[in-house]
Amino acid sequence: MITTVTSQQLLSLRRQRVFLAALSMFVAMTAAAGVLGWSSHNTIVRVYDEAVKLLAADGQPTPPNPFLLKPELSLLSNMVVYVPLLGALLALLLGHLSLTDDESTGLGRLIFSRRVSRTGYAVGKIAAAAIALSVIVLVAMAVSVVSLMVVNQRIPPISVLGRLGLFYSMSWLYLMLFALVGMAAALLNRRRSLALLSAMGAWLVITFAIPQFTSALRPTSSLNPIADPVGSSQRFFQITALARPISIAEQYKAASGQILSTAAPEPGWQTALRVVPLMVFVGLLVAAVVILVRRHDFSRSGNGE
Amino acid sequence: MKGPAIEIVGLGHKYNDILVLHDVDLSIDRGEIFGFLGHNGAGKTTTVNILTTLIRPTLGRALVNGHDVATERRLVTADIGYLPSEVRMYPHMTATENLTFFAELSGVEKAKHAVAETLEYLDCSDLADRRVGSFSTGMRQRIGIAQAIVHRPSVLFLDEPTAGLDPSGIRQLRRTILDLNRDLGMTVFMNTHQLSEVSRVCTTIGVLSRGELIYKDSMEATTRRFPDETSLEDIYVQMEGSPA
Repeated sequence: MITTVTSQQLLSLRRQRVFLAALSMFVAMTAAAGVLGWSSHNTIVRVYDEAVKLLAADGQPTPPNPFLLKPELSLLSNMVVYVPLLGALLALLLGHLSLTDDESTGLGRLIFSRRVSRTGYAVGKIAAAAIALSVIVLVAMAVSVVSLMVVNQRIPPISVLGRLGLFYSMSWLYLMLFALVGMAAALLNRRRSLALLSAMGAWLVITFAIPQFTSALRPTSSLNPIADPVGSSQRFFQITALARPISIAEQYKAASGQILSTAAPEPGWQTALRVVPLMVFVGLLVAAVVILVRRHDFSRSGNGE
Repeated sequence: MKGPAIEIVGLGHKYNDILVLHDVDLSIDRGEIFGFLGHNGAGKTTTVNILTTLIRPTLGRALVNGHDVATERRLVTADIGYLPSEVRMYPHMTATENLTFFAELSGVEKAKHAVAETLEYLDCSDLADRRVGSFSTGMRQRIGIAQAIVHRPSVLFLDEPTAGLDPSGIRQLRRTILDLNRDLGMTVFMNTHQLSEVSRVCTTIGVLSRGELIYKDSMEATTRRFPDETSLEDIYVQMEGSPA
């Protein structure tokens, strides 16, 4: 029964234009990150080659190629921005669409007049979202690998592929969080538009409001935009600093910086610790969606819009 | 199976402390076509929601095929079909895809075969591969009935099935209900406002008024009991005015 719900949901998503449009946009942005990386790399290398020629003609020593000093994956640093912005919105939409069809059209009544357990239904829907996001993330990863191959003109080494895999696995978990937020919002609001608006509200809070509160408000952060600004003696900032570990968006960016080697290195356990709150929140949201589905009055479905 | 298809004892339901259904007792034998009449807000849909296990009754109990709707949900849902007042399915999926989904949810083996058979029975195989989003109200209704019977339930619940249908659609639906009753032996529980449909299709009627069952008898006995009335509408108005 779970597989029936999952496969129906996947088929449904495949046919929904809104979802396909959002997916295309995400993949396009991933490809654009690669193209931009390749373009800037190409320009800088050409300038470097010209400079090397001039310096050699003058008999002066040549500096090393700047790209040899940069980590290979720094080319994809834009992805750390695209995932929380575009990717999270896409995941929200996916979660929203997963339940609103059944809720707002009255299909929930038909489904639950069948031999369907509510837990099984919820698990089926969550599994469908997980599979859909896996496909999206795998496509994005494939585009990233191609970008790296084009720029570096070689197949990325295993270590780089491993890091890339780790980054996209964490991104998948991050996107799952928003898919679950979209589902929870759909169960809490009968009106389709209100469900989407409240899910977007949650996205705004997680992506912008909480990081602003926990880090960006600090006077030093605008001058020194690092993950953990220097300590402050002011009580307000001491309190906000305590909340920083649960600022999921910040922790995601900081952990991504470590995985892609674009941030100052930190011990591996510290990076692993950054992912823990994300895992806890995803776990809590899975439980919340299951409980909400179990308690939801599907006899009133179809009265929304 | 023995005993009545549907048995309701002292059934009551509250929505936010408002009693919408009050002490309803009702028994419907197997093979009957039961017309459940009542004005808007009388509690007809709440009764169907309880019988289809969508909501739990606040008071009393209801049995379908001898199984309690509150405690034996899986056994009840295995043997009922339900058609809500407004049929909407996944619009971007074809009729076959929609019906296969519902058949699989009901645990039908060889779901696709069952779907094809059901569509053929309802004489709408031509709709099989078309997306439901492009269907007219009448076509949606036929596919709605197909989803309700694809797993061959013994009891069929229809909530305002004629809503939005044109006269030919209503005639076709009437024929379908009679066929399902005759060919497959289905017990039909039909909520309706269409008094003309009740008199043409139903074997028994019940009238619900302000959450209370004020009348229940066979169609034959009803017309005998109210010999002076020219139409069922007059009978209905008289019943509402004077509880039996």
